[in-house]
Amino acid sequence: MTTGEVLKTLLTIAWLLPLAGFAIEIFAGYWQKNRFSMAAAKMSVICIGMSFIFSLLALIQWGLATDWTALAATEHHGDHAAAVHHEEAGNHAKAHEPHGKEEHANTDHHEKTAHHDKDEHEEKHAVVPSTFSGRFYTLADFGKLKLSLDYYIDSLTLIMFTMVTLIATCIHIFAMGYMSDELTNDYVDHQAHKSDGSHVHRPGRYYQFFAFLSLFCFSMLGLVLAGNIFQVFVFWELVGICSYLLIGFYTERKTANVAANKAFIMNRVGDFGFLIGLMVIWTWFGTFSFTTSELNGHDIPGIFEMVRGNDGAISLTEDGNSMIFRDGEGHALKNEDGSNRTIPYTLLVVAGLGVFGGCIGKSAQFPLQTWLPDAMEGPTPVSALVHSATMVAAGVYLTGRFYPVFTPEVLLTIAYIGCITLFVAATIAVVATDIKRVLAYSTISQLGYMMLAIGISGWVAGLFHLITHAFFKSLMFLCSGSVIHGCHHEQEMPKMGGLLKKMPVTALTMLVGVIAISGLAIPFTIFGMKFAFSGYHSKDAIVATGLAYMRLNPSHIFLFFVPLVTAGITAFYMFRLWFYTFLGRPRDQEMHDHVHESPRIMTVPLLVLALFAAGCAIGGESGFLYKMLIHSEPAGVAEGVEAFAPAMLTLPSHHHIHAVHSEAGIYALIAAVTGMIIAYILYATPLVDPGEIKRQFSGLHHFLVEKWHFDTLYDAMFVKPMHIVASWCSAIDKKLFDSILHGFCAVAVKIARFDRQFDEKIVDGLVETLGDVTFSVGRSLKVLQTGKLRQYIMFIAASVVVLFILAFVLFPSI
Amino acid sequence: MTIPQILFYIFALVTCGGAIAVVVSQNVVRMAFWLIVSLGSLSGLFFMAHADFVAGAQLLIYVGGTLVLLVFGVMLTASGAQRQLKMSPADGFLAAGVGTVFLTIIMSTVISVDWDGVSKTLTGEVVSQKIPTGYNKGEEGNTIRRLGLGFLGIRADKDLGAPEDKKISTGYLLPFEIVSIHLLVVLIGASYLARAKRKVAPRTN
Amino acid sequence: MEGISLNSFLFVGAILFVSGIVCMATKRNLIGILMGVELVLNGANVNLVAFSRYSSIGIDAKFIALFVIVLAAAEAAVALAIALSFYNNHQTIDVDQADELQG
Repeated sequence: MTTGEVLKTLLTIAWLLPLAGFAIEIFAGYWQKNRFSMAAAKMSVICIGMSFIFSLLALIQWGLATDWTALAATEHHGDHAAAVHHEEAGNHAKAHEPHGKEEHANTDHHEKTAHHDKDEHEEKHAVVPSTFSGRFYTLADFGKLKLSLDYYIDSLTLIMFTMVTLIATCIHIFAMGYMSDELTNDYVDHQAHKSDGSHVHRPGRYYQFFAFLSLFCFSMLGLVLAGNIFQVFVFWELVGICSYLLIGFYTERKTANVAANKAFIMNRVGDFGFLIGLMVIWTWFGTFSFTTSELNGHDIPGIFEMVRGNDGAISLTEDGNSMIFRDGEGHALKNEDGSNRTIPYTLLVVAGLGVFGGCIGKSAQFPLQTWLPDAMEGPTPVSALVHSATMVAAGVYLTGRFYPVFTPEVLLTIAYIGCITLFVAATIAVVATDIKRVLAYSTISQLGYMMLAIGISGWVAGLFHLITHAFFKSLMFLCSGSVIHGCHHEQEMPKMGGLLKKMPVTALTMLVGVIAISGLAIPFTIFGMKFAFSGYHSKDAIVATGLAYMRLNPSHIFLFFVPLVTAGITAFYMFRLWFYTFLGRPRDQEMHDHVHESPRIMTVPLLVLALFAAGCAIGGESGFLYKMLIHSEPAGVAEGVEAFAPAMLTLPSHHHIHAVHSEAGIYALIAAVTGMIIAYILYATPLVDPGEIKRQFSGLHHFLVEKWHFDTLYDAMFVKPMHIVASWCSAIDKKLFDSILHGFCAVAVKIARFDRQFDEKIVDGLVETLGDVTFSVGRSLKVLQTGKLRQYIMFIAASVVVLFILAFVLFPSI
Repeated sequence: MTIPQILFYIFALVTCGGAIAVVVSQNVVRMAFWLIVSLGSLSGLFFMAHADFVAGAQLLIYVGGTLVLLVFGVMLTASGAQRQLKMSPADGFLAAGVGTVFLTIIMSTVISVDWDGVSKTLTGEVVSQKIPTGYNKGEEGNTIRRLGLGFLGIRADKDLGAPEDKKISTGYLLPFEIVSIHLLVVLIGASYLARAKRKVAPRTN
Repeated sequence: MEGISLNSFLFVGAILFVSGIVCMATKRNLIGILMGVELVLNGANVNLVAFSRYSSIGIDAKFIALFVIVLAAAEAAVALAIALSFYNNHQTIDVDQADELQG
């Protein structure tokens, strides 16, 4: 087997295992007589755990096959002077990307040629193709349009697989403990009320929860593995429906139903954009495939090559209004008449914006961010999964994956959307008191960071932050779940406090997450590698990219300062959360007395995740994770773009970013430390009373508590008008259509009455008369039926005689 | 008056008288006797009509078989009071009246028909011309051979000497076989019907 | 055979036939009715034989006469079986008692 096939097999197994788990759990759970079995949970954990192992194997296999060139190459450039690095990275990207994409996992021939070419091009490394794509199965074939299940495997895919399965495994194990009160036939839902005010009693849905979790993981893995945009869309929707099912898991609670609907509908709004993007892509590109695919026996270039060619640059026509499609070799694609195939530049922008619209919905970006905090209605493990590894990560992942199609204008939009989102969400998080809501808003804010990073060409920084954020956010959600579990489903922070002694493991692991997300760490060096908690590295990278971008495009000053300030706000609200919850005196003594540390099945995942949250980005830019990611960076990102024509935007190159990295790191650290200190002063010491500040800025506070009035705004903009239109329609329905219908009904009744009269009088009368006559005739003839044999004979004889006489009388001539 | 005529009248008288005696007599045993007399002399009439085989069959089957069967039936059923079942005089007069009218009608019909003309219009051919040598003429009786062949499906009287394209007459083989089967079925059915059964209580009037 | 006319035979047949009818109509004894049937059949047979003799139908009428005799025998056997069965069931041979089919 070639490397591609091995990888494909491993990842396919890792992908399908949760599906198998789902199928077995949902049906076996249904058949199961009692609801006390943890079999579904174990099954689910085994499936996702096996997936993790297979993903890890795939990662190692990929590393071995590529001889770890990914690490070597970037380590190389990391150590070198900036100029050399620039050139190298450029060469690197130029040289291996196209070949990698051309490669078909199932054709040895291609691999060999690729090999060969590499040796000619680059003598340093025996570069093996590192991107593998191919087709599982063709679903349907409509003329030129092929709907198929493809796969696309590069280091990003592998990292995502490993990250998703690892985090999902931890969350599954945690959920085994967290959801254990569902293991009953009579679950009392204290937050759901019947109309008479009593609590809802229902059978536990333990198995169902795990089945949905498994399906969720399957969808997410399918999305990551997908090799064409349509397949992505399918799994995208599957992720959406899974989140719907899980957010609305406590389906008896009205709030949960509303939240699930909101999440689903908000996502539909985004997906509408996605569909528009798909239409543009299909109409103008004629393929959905990311990369070169085979059609009718010859290769056709995929979307990425068509936009970016082989050098990562967008090639415009002379008037600058259209973009020329190119194949993987950099040659322009020709129409049948020999002219260049082009797409109007605006439509390319529309395609990019459309697809990004889907990402806005999925990743809860401004202006569709309001569903995510409401999604806290789901059980906490769901929140952890939705907020770290699956749902919202899908949006960022797709933005990253689809980067080659985004033009600089689209990237700028992405950057500003991310910028607005991160600031808005962070400010709301400052005043939120529900522990999960604080985390939810911090998620939105961090997602904004990722979008911003991708938008300002910090591709690696964005995805780097995605991975690190996934670890520490899932950690913090599980910690909050542990707190909620320990506090008997109390989520309001003002009722907590002083939990450090009661829940030491939770508190300390939470602290790890808080430090990580704040980017607050003093880097030190172990074994020649810089060590700091993961968030430091990733946020550092984003801020550095922002600084470089601002230097190159001085007009976009906000794209640096907003994230920088928000880094401070982030540190502030995260430490506020931690101080509020774990330090100080208990504010609700009665509850505090009953608080207990969670069982080991819940704390062990916390420890594992804490380990990764602290150390997954070890080494920073020369660490394993960063180098793995940069290996998948789309061609052309590293060099940056000089004043690209339509919007005159300049994208920073790696060289630029590197130059300002240490400077930006210091700014970020200052911001974070400031935030932490303010939080400490306000919430951990009695120096300043936060309540006083709240009163002084009550207007602002109210504005923030009301989430910038987004919900009110949407209510006024969409929901109210919809209600008005609906009431109009209802009125028209009642007045106009109903009266017409009633008229028809009345006429029909009249006709029916007449028909009844006709039926009863004429038809029935006729039939009855006939029956009566027949009956009376039969009755009178009954007398003749004497039963006497001799009389019958007599009748016969007499009849014959009479017949004869009649014959004689009537025909006398014969 | 020739001897055949005398014989004919004697036989005719005995036949008709026997039949009327059957009608008139009240005793079932006597009825059986008069029936034997009537049918026996009827076979004599058949002989007079040159139907020797039919007459023989009449004697053998009717007088020797069917009537003996009837006498057995009389024996098995006519016990005591059952032997004489009187009919009401009204029935008798009515029957006599109807019978007389019926007879009158038939007689008048028979008389009014011109039989020679009817016969000629029926076939248009003379029977005697077709009888080949070696066969007795129809007028002379002795029809056994022709009847036998006819039952085996051969119509010597019609096909022998006739032109090739006219040889289409068929015999009576199939009816003969059907009658054979029919007799067998009747035999079984009759024995089934008449087998001794458990007696049930007499009907209460 | 001159001197005996076809009509003479037909008269005999008619008398037999009418006797049979009257016999059937008057006898209360089931066996008597059977005898009436025999008379009717023989009346018909006389006609057949007479037409065989005097008309151009020829020997075919004799075939039919033979079939009539054979079927009459069969009918007599079955009818007698029915009579016996009737007698067994009703302890009488009087047909006036058999009025189960009265309407």
